Order: sequence, then structure tokens, then C-alpha cells
Amino acid sequence: MNKSILDYYNYLDQDGVVFYFNGPVSHSVLEGFGDIIRQNVATSKSDTNLARKVFAVMVEQMQNIIAYSIDKKEAAADASCGAGQPPSEYTYGTGQILVQREEDGFIVACSNRITTQQAERIRQKVEQINAMSKTELKDYYRRQRKAGPDKESMGAGLGFIEMARKAKKPLAIDFSPLDDTASLFSVTVNV
Amino acid sequence: MHPYYIPATKSSPEINFDPNADKLEIRGESYPENCSQFYTPVFEWLEQYLNNTNAPIHLDMEIQYFNSSSSKALMDLFDMLDEAAGKGKSVFVNWHYHEDNETAQECGEEFQEDVLHLDFKLTSFNA
Repeated sequence: MNKSILDYYNYLDQDGVVFYFNGPVSHSVLEGFGDIIRQNVATSKSDTNLARKVFAVMVEQMQNIIAYSIDKKEAAADASCGAGQPPSEYTYGTGQILVQREEDGFIVACSNRITTQQAERIRQKVEQINAMSKTELKDYYRRQRKAGPDKESMGAGLGFIEMARKAKKPLAIDFSPLDDTASLFSVTVNV
Repeated sequence: MHPYYIPATKSSPEINFDPNADKLEIRGESYPENCSQFYTPVFEWLEQYLNNTNAPIHLDMEIQYFNSSSSKALMDLFDMLDEAAGKGKSVFVNWHYHEDNETAQECGEEFQEDVLHLDFKLTSFNA
């Protein structure tokens, strides 16, 4: 028998999940989710910086889903978009986002389908980052920021470094093969 | 030169460049969907302005949060101003941050460490 929505609720609630989403992520979805989580995970004033970290990691993760998920829809290049009016309703990537409360912080995780060829590049990047201390990460971030992104990157090439700088533990990544060409890629960040 | 003004959105900052008063302001949050689409016209205006003024330049910034792509764009902006300062222009940047916002403070400090010639000041507020 299929699970009912109550089954999903009980399952997620037991594990302290405060937010779970599975579906298309657009920029306006990102703005809404990010903001509501930032306002709500802080239960006291001292939590505000923690809430900012959760938000920062979510933004990087959701922007990765929009940019790199293979399940995506691009806005037409010639869509009428004046300055400051990006066609955000028409570009999205499909993925999953999870925010889970832990005793001393939060887990912020995301996943999306990628091509198997993308996996090796991501693995190398993240392993290099995970081997660094916080000071080394800071220096690396600043060097990469000056140098600019490599050609495969769709942003500044700083997203994983940014997540690692906000994290208490190394980034946990996983690639689960789904078929011959695609894998489900996930990043789990403890903040 | 004409002033350059863009109102803030949820994910992009207000840009308020007034060439007549030689005052530039960037305030808000920065995680736009398309970072280069947002910042390219800002840079174009600034480049033209730098080529057309001899007055001291004052930039006030108050960014509560910016994502990693915006971080690169802001570094490029400071590099542009730093280069102008290296050629003899007086450039003052004032990075405002709320005293409770650790990230905004640290980010300001890192930009400060990454410029050589311009006068980069950090100011906290608590209102």
C-alpha cells in the first residue's frame, strides 16, 4: 500500500525535519523558502547567526539545483526580460531540500539528478575542500574569488567552499546511480 | 552623467549612485538569479563615472547577506575601485554591518584585507 500524507508526516516529524521539499525549484521559490526558514529556525536571539548560516547554505544548494539539475527547464533566451526582471518563473531545476533540527544545530541537505560524467568533477572538488582547515578554506575562497571560476562552473565556482566554511563537519556527498546515465547527487551540511 | 538607481528586491540590493554628490550606495541583500545580468550595468556605469570624475569617491555599503556569486561580483567592484585608488583617486568605502551580524562583519573584513589602495572602513550599528 502507498504511504499516506500522514505516514510521511509521522516519518519526517520523528526525525526532527522542519522543512522538506521535493519538486521544481525556481528563483522565486528559493526567495520564499529561504526567507521563511531564516525567520523561523531562530528560536532565540542567539540563534540568529545560526539561522543566517542555515539560510546561506540553503541558497547555495537551491541555486545549485536550479543550475545543475538535469531535470530542468530553461527560460527561452529571448524571453522579454528587462533589467531587474529576470524570467524567474520560467527557469527551474528539480530537486529535494531537507532541513532537520539536531541537538546542537541543523542539517541542511539537498539532492538532484546529475549525469554520471558530472560526478567525478564534483567528487574531486569536494574532497579537496574537505581536506582543508577553516583557515585554509578562507584562503582558498579568497584566491578562487580573485581568480574567477573554471569554465564548467555556472556561477563563481565558490558554492561548495562557501558551504564548507559554514559547516561544523566536512561536507557529506553521495552519488547513487539511478540508471546508465544519471545519478542522484546529494550534499549534506551540518551547521 | 545621470544618476543610477535601482530599487531593492528580496534578492538584489538597492543601488543608488549619485554622480552630482559623488555618493554611491549599495544596500540590501544580494543573491540574484543571474548575478552578471544584475551587476554588469552597475559596473558599466561605475567605469564611466570613474573616467569622468576627479572628486573623491564615497561608497557606502550595507549588505546583510550575499551569496557566493555576488561575492565574486563585489570583489570585482572593489578591484575596480582599488585600481582607481592606485592611480591616485581618493576612494572611501564604508562597510556598514549590524553588530549582531557576524557574517556581515567577517565578510567586510575579508574584503578589507583584499584591497590595497582604497580606504576601506568598517562601521557597526545597532539600531
